[in-house]
Order: sequence, then C-alpha cells, then structure tokens
Amino acid sequence: MRTYMGIDVGSVSTDVVLIDDDNNVIASAYIRTAGQPIKAVQEGLRLISREKPPEAKVYAVGSTGSARELAAAIVGADVVKNEITAHAVASSTLVPGVQTIIEIGGQDSKIIILRNGVVSDFAMNTVCAAGTGSFLDQQAARLGIPINEFGKIALKSKNSVRIAGRCSVFAESDMIHKQQMGHKMEDLLAGLCEALVRNYLNNVGKGKQILPPVAFQGGVAANEGMKKALEKALGMEVIIPKDYCLMGAIGAAMLARKQERENGQTNFRGFDVTDINYQVTSFECTKCPNLCEIICISIGENDICRWGGRCERWQISGEK
Amino acid sequence: MKISFPRMGNSYIGFKHLCEGLGFEVVVPPSLTQKTITYGARYSPEFACMPFKVLTGTYVEVLEKGADVIISSGGIGPCRAGFYGVLHEKILKDIGYDFKFIVVDPPMANLKDFYNNVLFLKPRNLKWGSFLKKVRTAWKMLTALDGLDMLVAQRRAYELKKGDTQKAFETAVSYIDSAETYKEVVEAETEGRKLIERVPCDETRKPLRVGIVGEIYVVIEPFMNMDIERRLGEMGVITHRSIYVTTYVRHTIWDRKAEDYIKDAARPYLKQMVGGHGINSVGETVLYGKDNYDGVVQLAPFTCIPEIVARSILPKVSRDYDIPVLTLHIDEQTGETGVQTRLEAFLDLLREKQKVLGECS
Amino acid sequence: MSQVIVGFPTTLTYYLHYPMWKVFFSELGCKVETSPMTNKKILDEGVKETVTDACVPIKLYHGHAVALKDKVDYLFIPRMVNVDSDKNITFCPKFLGLPDMIKASIPNLPKIISPSLDRKSGHYYLYKACREIGRQLEKPASLIFRAYRRAVSIQKKFEKIMVQNKLNPVEGIDYLFNSGSCSERPDADLNIAVLGYPYQIYDPYISANLMSWLENHKVRTWTMEMVDYSQLQKYSGKLKKKLFWHFSNKVVWACYHYLDQPHIDGIIHVTAFSCGPDAMVDKLVELECKQRNFPFLSLMIDEQTGEGGVTTRLEAFTDMIRYRREQQG
Repeated sequence: MRTYMGIDVGSVSTDVVLIDDDNNVIASAYIRTAGQPIKAVQEGLRLISREKPPEAKVYAVGSTGSARELAAAIVGADVVKNEITAHAVASSTLVPGVQTIIEIGGQDSKIIILRNGVVSDFAMNTVCAAGTGSFLDQQAARLGIPINEFGKIALKSKNSVRIAGRCSVFAESDMIHKQQMGHKMEDLLAGLCEALVRNYLNNVGKGKQILPPVAFQGGVAANEGMKKALEKALGMEVIIPKDYCLMGAIGAAMLARKQERENGQTNFRGFDVTDINYQVTSFECTKCPNLCEIICISIGENDICRWGGRCERWQISGEK
Repeated sequence: MKISFPRMGNSYIGFKHLCEGLGFEVVVPPSLTQKTITYGARYSPEFACMPFKVLTGTYVEVLEKGADVIISSGGIGPCRAGFYGVLHEKILKDIGYDFKFIVVDPPMANLKDFYNNVLFLKPRNLKWGSFLKKVRTAWKMLTALDGLDMLVAQRRAYELKKGDTQKAFETAVSYIDSAETYKEVVEAETEGRKLIERVPCDETRKPLRVGIVGEIYVVIEPFMNMDIERRLGEMGVITHRSIYVTTYVRHTIWDRKAEDYIKDAARPYLKQMVGGHGINSVGETVLYGKDNYDGVVQLAPFTCIPEIVARSILPKVSRDYDIPVLTLHIDEQTGETGVQTRLEAFLDLLREKQKVLGECS
Repeated sequence: MSQVIVGFPTTLTYYLHYPMWKVFFSELGCKVETSPMTNKKILDEGVKETVTDACVPIKLYHGHAVALKDKVDYLFIPRMVNVDSDKNITFCPKFLGLPDMIKASIPNLPKIISPSLDRKSGHYYLYKACREIGRQLEKPASLIFRAYRRAVSIQKKFEKIMVQNKLNPVEGIDYLFNSGSCSERPDADLNIAVLGYPYQIYDPYISANLMSWLENHKVRTWTMEMVDYSQLQKYSGKLKKKLFWHFSNKVVWACYHYLDQPHIDGIIHVTAFSCGPDAMVDKLVELECKQRNFPFLSLMIDEQTGEGGVTTRLEAFTDMIRYRREQQG
C-alpha cells in the first residue's frame, strides 16, 4: 500500500499521520511537544511504525508547523510547507466547498478564507495569546475544571457571563471578580468560550468576510462549548471535520503526495531515525551585538541543521 | 431623515434640542455601555485609540436605531481624530450601512465646507435670525451644563452624605433638559445651581486639589474615565479639569489667547504642536504646578499619540514643579477596580506629601 | 583642533534625507558618524529609555541615540514638521516631539542639533535650517551656502536615481557613496509592492529580513520610493481628506499607484505594533484591496517579532498568489 506521511510540529503538540491515495488516515499519532520537538517527532514516528499495517510503505513525507524545518531535517522531508497552506489544502479536500477555515490551536490561531478552492486571504494571531486555546487552558486550570470536561459543562449554560479582557491576564482578573459575585460555573465557562470567540473575531477574524461552509479545526474544536459560541457569534452552522486536530499534518501529507507524483522519489530516511541520537547544542554567537542564540542539531560530529541566527553565518540548508 | 451624533458627557442634551428645534427627528445616542465597546472593538482597527472605537460602537448603535444622518466633528491633525470621519464612513459602509455622514471641520480649516454644513442644517424656510437664535439657545444650554459640571467638581468634596451632590446634579441636568427657550435655560441653570449649593456640607474641610488633563474625549465622557471626577470628589477631592465642550469650542474658534497661554506654559518642555491635547497636557500640568495644586491625573487613551509624547515629558515637569502626576491609560480592558486602586494609592501619596509640607511650614 | 563629529542615527529620516545631511556636514568640515545598523543591543537600550507604550520606531530612535551619544560632539535630530507643498501634511506627533522626548528621557546627552524642517516657514525653509545649523557650528556664511547647494543637489540626485533605477533607499545610498552602480537583480516570478515606512522596511533587524527573504524566494519588490513623488500625488484626491502625515500619505498613494500597475501581483503592508497612524493606514489599504479583490497581507512588526512568524506569513502569502495564478492560468 502506498502511503504518505505528514508531520505537524507546533509549539504545543506534534501530530504525525499516514494517509493513503484516497485520503484515508491509516495511522496517526499525537504527542505533546513539550519544548523538545526532536524527541516529539521521533516518538511520533515510533508510534506510527507500530500502528501502521506492515504492508504500508511511506512514499513521501511532508512537514509543517513552526518547527517544520527541523522536522524536515531529521526525517528527510520532501515538502516543507507553512501551516496556512497545509491547512487550506487539507480542508478544501475534506470539507467540500469550504470558504472559511477557523483554526484555533494552543498558542496560535488563524483564519483562512478560500474562494473557489484557493486561499484568497488569511490572518494569524498577533497579540500575545489573544484568541488562542491557551486562554481556555489557563482559565480551566484556575477553576479546577479538567479541559476535556470544559465543553460539556459550558453547554449546560443558559445564561453566559460576559468576561471582558483582550488577553488572559486581564480576563483572569475579570473572571475572578465574576466568580466572587457568585455566578454559576457553567455560565462562567460559557462566558469564557464567548470571550475567546470574541477575541478571536476581533483579532484574527477582523475585517474578514466569513462565508459558509465554515470549518472549525485545531485542538480547541474538541470543546463543544466553543462550537456553540462560534455558531452563536457567526449566526451560521460550523462544521468540525472528523480529524479536526490533524488537519495540518494531513495537509502536509497531501502536499507530499502531490510532490511524489511529480518527481517519483523521496528523501525519507526511514523509520530508523527514531533510533538516531541527535544532539542539540546551543551557543551564543558573539560576532556582532545581536548575540544570537544559535542552536545546532547534529549526528555525531556532523551538524545537520542550525538555526536561530539573524544572519546567514551559521546556516546550513536543511536539504543538502 | 433621522439625525444622530456622538455622545460626550451631557452635551448631547444641547445638540438634541438644537436638532429638534430645527425640525429634525433625532436619534439620541444611547449612553455608552459594554455593548458600545463590543461593537467598537469588533469593527475598528486594533490599534485605533479608544475614542475611535467607542465612536464606531455608537454609530453602529444609532444606525441600528434607524439614524440615516450622522454629524460629527473633524479636525486638522496631526492627531488621528481629524481623520476619523473618513475612516468611520468607509468602515460603516463596508459593513453595509447606508447613511449620510457630515463631518464638521473648524471654520478656519475650510470655510466653504463649514458654510455648506450650516446650510444643510438650516431649514430653508427658517429665517437666519431665528436660526441664530436657536443656535444661541443651544449654546447657552451647553455652557449651563458645563457650568454645573464645574460647580459639582468643587462641591462634592464637602458633602456630608456621599452621593447627595451627584443626585442634585442629575436633577439640575434634567431641569436644563426640559427647558425650551433661552429664558427657560437661564432659569433652569439658576435653579439647578441653588439645588447643588443647598446640599448639606462641612465647609471646614481642607480638600486636596487635583487637576485633570488629557485627551478631550476621555476627559469629558464619564463612562470612558470611570467617572473619575465623581470618584475623586466622593473621596474628598476638589477636581479641576482643563477641557469642557464649550471651552474647547471657544478656545479653538475665537478665544485663541487662552490657548496661547497654555502653550506658552508648555514651551520650555515642548516647543512643537503635536496635535490632540498633547501640548495642553504639558502646559496645563505646568499651570496646575504654578497654582500649587496637590496633583495631576493625566487621562490617556491607549495608543493615543499626542498623550504618549506628553507622557514622556511629564515626569520632568513633575520634578520641576514638585507636583505628582498619575497617568491612567484608558482602553477596553480598563477595569473599575484597577482605576480605584490607583486613585486611592495616588491620594495617599498626596496626603502624605501634604502632611510633610504642613509639618515643615 | 580635531574634527567635529556629528552623530546621525541610522533610522527614521536616515532613509529620507541621509545623503543631503551627509554632504552638508562634510562640506562644513564635520565628520558624520552614523550608528550601526539596528541590533539587539540598540533595541534593548531603546526599549529601556522609552515610555512603554511608544511604538517600535520611536524606541529604536532612542536606542540609536544612546549608541551614538558618547562618540560624538553633536547629535543630529532634525524636527520634521512639514516638507510637502500642502501645509496641513505634517509628521506623526511623535516625530514632531522627538527632540523634546529624547532630551527628557536620555541622560548625559551631547549637544543637540535639531533644526525644524518646516516648509510653512517659507520657500527657503531648507536653507534656513542649514543656516541655523551652520551658525550653531560657527561656520562662515559663504561656506554654509556652498554646503547647502551641494546638499540639495545630491538629495535631488538621490531621489532621481531611486526612481530611474528602481532602487530602494538603502540601495540608493550605496549607489551614491560606494558602488556607483546597481547590482544585478535575481530572477523573479512575482512582483509584490511592499509598502510601509522606510525606517521599518529597510531595517533588516526589525523587519526580520523581510526584503531579503522575498528576494531569495523569487519575488521582485517594489516600494514607494521608486515612484516619483509627483506621480504619487496624483492620487491625493482619492480620499475625501488627505492624511495628516507625510509617510502615511505616501503609503496610501503608493497603494493606489501599484493597484493600477498590471504587473503587480500583491501588496504587503508592513506596520509597526501600536503605530497610531498605521491603525488608519492599514485599514484604508485593506479596504481598498478588499474592494478590488487584490491579494493583500498586513504584516505587523514589533520588538519581539521572530523571523518564524514573518516567514510563515510570507510563505503563505506567496503560495496563495502562485496558486491563484495557477488556477486562473
């Protein structure tokens, strides 16, 4: 069986998927990045190799996410793409006719506007954690609510509380205030969902023409309260694709498949990379007052990838 | 045709009477609420200043209520406010509202435009004499409202029972609102003043005196500044603020001397006009310092450019005149608790200073 | 007597007037010392010295002033008031108050030279400013006049070569003082107008290498300096009211200009975090592009901007244009 691998390394989570020629997800893995993207990618590959059927062979690999270059360097990717393009490719294939993609992840959020299947406009969050999932995580933790129950409780609310504040610090003080006034938990949680939606629409979604069908994806889409709050604010139905939290990785895999069909070969180093010992070292470059923190990834004596510099002094291209 | 305009303190009463007197149907701008801010933040650029956002919100609210003409003020820069009109119109039309937007620039900026705007407001069959009479009555109304405002700022600090002065003030404002003719406005003002002066007081108190400077909209509109004058007044402070609607109009249009006086005071620190009320904030702080006020509160909308310039210069003025300055940033996150805490701490500081000075002398 | 050293911060007006002032001061017999290109240290110093809610360019200016202050006899901080024929067009209030802000916030400054460039003061406003500087430096009138003439002529040449050879100010300054020629442009399949204030776009540190990223990814960049000012001014009637700020008008007019050029594939507006005028400009440019269904990217830059965020957006934007083209072609 021909399969294609997609890797999405974000700041919060790392997703790895294997898809076939008909876009079926053959295997998938979700790992917390926890500040160690290399380990996360290796762990992801290990899980995939265990889960996949033995006859599945990887024909190409694509990477995306904020650490896409790094993932590409250690796995040997054929395509390295930014997450906007990756998400757009996946959704436009899996959600027919989609015109708006709302993606809310842990520390990033984005909106992608498509017309006739092509990206026509997009935006990503600018101000701190405004309109991202970390906002809910922090508040849930403060209220002592497990994040996976958050949505269910919020759904019970009949009368949400208005919680003001652009970023979590301000929202937190307002929330504490409302809590002390004796509002019900479900109303507070629904209020938090609405605050996040409001912040998302004011920051990321500002000025964008949101037309249906709307796809809602990213980790936060797991929260039913968020779906309800979004539908309320937009006044239209919101579709959550089946693999809502893997869309970036699926998009990367699709792009890899396209590439493979064009040139028929792959740079994939094989599943053995899980056993390679990559060393990560860092040093401060003192060649100029910028004092960049340079990070090197190496196997034994060979540096395979370096980044962190503002100039080109330390660059080695990820491909080679 | 339904006319509406922005809300700024109690001035809407004067504008409402003028428009109604001229035979227009008026959509009274609703008092500012969280809803106004929600609309404003949704449609305005993220780094537009707070007054811009609140105006966007107000416009959406009055358009929803059926207004089809909006009148607002313009300006000649370099503060962004002078350009608000153009951008508001573009944003609101992009949302899909259809309306006529009239931006009144000061007459010296464009006399012809000003004249055309006046012509638009003056019904054809109304004689110029009667038109001017109506304008005069509205102006009297505005000055009366500002006069009451100045009076309560002086009186609150002495009241025996917290909140009495405010109640009297609100009744006095309603007197003025119900007046129709020039004569009635004068009577209403006299009655209103009496009412406020009759509030039981302890005249032996020695209240602190605090000057309030900053950007016009947040200084004038109580919702924007968390009702700072009332708050300070009820904490036993006499406040004096630098800008009222009528003094602003007077200073910009015919009484340039008063304005020059403030600018001269600012000159050692800031030589250049920086738009908005930047130079005024510096100059007025100097003047409050010379007048031996106990402190100054600067009200600055978040991202307000002229006030940022002023803010970076005020510490020097504060040192030179030994007058403490507290800067309060106003934006959609400003919470009541935050403002209250800062004001309380500031007053503690002023009282300590007063005590030390008292012991020295 | 040793040569007098005049410090010129490599930011703000550097990209507008450096050739003129460089020649003027050199002709007066002074040495012009520029601060190094923006680096981390300069930014950190600037952030430290400035009120927190000031915009990045103002913070940078403070940083550059700090970098120069102990190395020079004079610090040159011109007060930009009005350089347009329209007397209502001025500069952002922070520019207007800049010398005062610097004086109020940085301790132990050298002597400051801060002439006002104010066209409202008369037709020979530039000469007046030069004379003021010359007198402050105690130079004879004849020398000042000659220096002024040379300064004006090089400034004209600077503006002309940028338009003729489609150079940006950094390339223009290099052309004038170093190479005397234009370097070869790499191959490109996209033409993108990059609009925004020169002191952000051309400062590689603060713009996270935006321009070189584009050049390295087969994009030819077009900026507002490449268009003759009189050409830009043709668009001044497009808005009911002109903006009050020189650079902002140029950005908006350049947007209209490039929207009318068939070879341009997209527009990027580079805006500083919490820049006041840009809150207006960005919305205007966005609405105009939206109306014409033209690819538009607003790129916000602040002191914490990492290259990652910028390149992701640039990649996505260029992908978008190329895919669109594939679909249409």
